[in-house]
Amino acid sequence: MSELPTSELMPTARRVGDAIVISVRGEIDMHNSPQLRSEVLYLLNTGKPRKLIVDLAQVAYMDSSAVAVLVESLKTMHRTGGKVCLLNLQPRVKGILEISRLNAVFSICKDEQEALAK
Amino acid sequence: MTASPKPLRLRITSDPANLAPVRHEVEIFAAACGFKPNAVGEIGLCVNEAMANITRHAYGGAVDRPVHVDAEFAGDRLRVTLRDWGCGRCPSLEPNPKDPLEPGGLGLVCLRKLMDRVAFDPQPDGMLLTMERRV
Repeated sequence: MSELPTSELMPTARRVGDAIVISVRGEIDMHNSPQLRSEVLYLLNTGKPRKLIVDLAQVAYMDSSAVAVLVESLKTMHRTGGKVCLLNLQPRVKGILEISRLNAVFSICKDEQEALAK
Repeated sequence: MTASPKPLRLRITSDPANLAPVRHEVEIFAAACGFKPNAVGEIGLCVNEAMANITRHAYGGAVDRPVHVDAEFAGDRLRVTLRDWGCGRCPSLEPNPKDPLEPGGLGLVCLRKLMDRVAFDPQPDGMLLTMERRV
């Protein structure tokens, strides 16, 4: 396991085998989603993981621009046959993923162990 | 019965930094109108998405243009209006059956699904968006 660059928005990021596990913190909207996008894409482009695991326990809210970051991450991972797993969806985050019909597109896991095993 | 709170009048710019404060103010207002927490969050999301669309589309990304957000409650109905002085183009509110992985349009999907009434009224110098939801 190795530590990767972090920020206030992404307080933890580490490599676990061929996966990158990150946590995201805060209310994510069009004001801060560009920063999240660049941080996540940097990790994907430099780390080339087979799996991205995103812990959203500390994300009480996200808007469509944050959803777009998740979708772009998913597409980036799909290009190399990788996966994106989401953990700990809070009610409002779950809500917007359902509205956008993306709840069936992402792999939603109950914890990191399950996500790593998928 | 919940007493109607005093109408909310917010005069802001199109800067995305204003999204969270406005969302929070509208959510406090909606809660004071008697909406349940889930509905409060949905109303906040719709105002967020409408404001983001104004910045993106009406103002082409400019962050220093005026936006007026007003909210009032009468009977059992919350009405939120957003006025901009942008391009005045009316977005389509038709259902969007395309691939959910294709970008764009999610903000309007939220408005259509979560509000009881959504109307874009072109003005001579911009747009007036009215969204309503009953308790």
